[in-house]
Amino acid sequence: MRLYDPTSSGPKRTLRRAPPLASLEGKTIGVLENGKLNAAEMLGEVALLFKERHGCTIGAVYSKSNASAPAPKETLVQAAREVDFLITGLGD
Amino acid sequence: MPLDIARVHEVPDDLLAAIDYCYEQGWTDGLPVVPPTVERVHATLVYEGRPAETVVATHPATGLELSIHATAVNAAMAGCLPEYLPVLIAAFEAMNQPDFNFHGSTASTGGSAPMLIVSGPVVDDIGMNGDVNLFGPGNRANATIGRAVRLILRNVFQMIPGISDKSTQGNPGKYSFCIAERARGNPWPLLCEQQGYPQGVSSVTVFAGGGFCNVENHGGNTPEQVLGSVADAMANYGCITLGQSVVVLAPEHMKIVADAGWSRQDAQAFLFAQAKRSVEGMRTVGKYRDSEYAKQHDAKAHALVQEGFVHRGLTPDDILITLGGGDAGGHSCFIPSWSRGRGSIMQHRAIGVCIDCN
Repeated sequence: MRLYDPTSSGPKRTLRRAPPLASLEGKTIGVLENGKLNAAEMLGEVALLFKERHGCTIGAVYSKSNASAPAPKETLVQAAREVDFLITGLGD
Repeated sequence: MPLDIARVHEVPDDLLAAIDYCYEQGWTDGLPVVPPTVERVHATLVYEGRPAETVVATHPATGLELSIHATAVNAAMAGCLPEYLPVLIAAFEAMNQPDFNFHGSTASTGGSAPMLIVSGPVVDDIGMNGDVNLFGPGNRANATIGRAVRLILRNVFQMIPGISDKSTQGNPGKYSFCIAERARGNPWPLLCEQQGYPQGVSSVTVFAGGGFCNVENHGGNTPEQVLGSVADAMANYGCITLGQSVVVLAPEHMKIVADAGWSRQDAQAFLFAQAKRSVEGMRTVGKYRDSEYAKQHDAKAHALVQEGFVHRGLTPDDILITLGGGDAGGHSCFIPSWSRGRGSIMQHRAIGVCIDCN
């Protein structure tokens, strides 16, 4: 019996992770908040911990208009240009 | 055809062993599947005119793509007859519209299931059920088309429970959530007509549904009484949000509404006006949000929006109402949206034809 594989997707894409930072010390941190209740507050507190513990500079706060949709490409491109790393998470 | 699309597994000619093989590969929703043999998939593909590698939908976060071929493979696995394929393809073309946001609605803790409402002549052509027990069980087309949606989300888009599907409690509709609109005795234009498709063209509407709420009313004899109970269900504290709604009126209830001369638009306006909670009440249960109230009461607010109240949805058009069910029984239903606001907007698509497409 010959079965087709149901998981087949389109042509394979070449996706790779960004190289990890060698150190967090002195880096600029960005925040991507999803617009949910308390998201900006919670992520702001987390960013402060990076500042206290690793001397990070807190950079821009980016926002999404739809919490459950992927961030727009333009937002991610801008963040990649302006900060060294980005944190995000759900606030609810 | 790219090799990845045509990947084949050779297994022994033993049907039960093949079913177990599908389990071992992680291809099922927990129930046994029909092993997707090459022959069955090819027979299914006959019902689509475009090349098998044509992309039907793309996951907005991962870039994973659903081809017509993969749609047919999962349809066969779900138990679909080959002629069901165009409905399934149209459903994913509708879900692929950005405003449906099928990433969010399938990954969220909210436990959404894509609800399909099929309208028009295709319902009889493939033997769908809009009558007794339309939500199931008992009808192959309803059950397997809805099931194929879930298998595609799992197998192609990798929305795996506990990993990328973080639904807190799940939802029985995540096994299958597909109905037909009842045409027999329907006093209102069918959805496919309301949506503006040419005569004879069927449609499928997709809605990120949050569950199923039975609305029982055997004593009401006026539209206000019957729809008043529906509105109360829509406004329950657990469900009320700015999201959209689906209401399936049972024939007994529909007769009361339509015999009084009410149109679909009349019913929508009544439900929108009545499905509301006071700001004070919303505060009592901790669900009041200034931003949501402002969104509903801004300069563009609908004329039926009442000061001091939070309504369900933003306008009467946010409430889809149709007919479904058996002749006997005062049991309608309300399906709340997964989205608490505008995170997912219902979409519709013509089935088996190309309208205004490239």
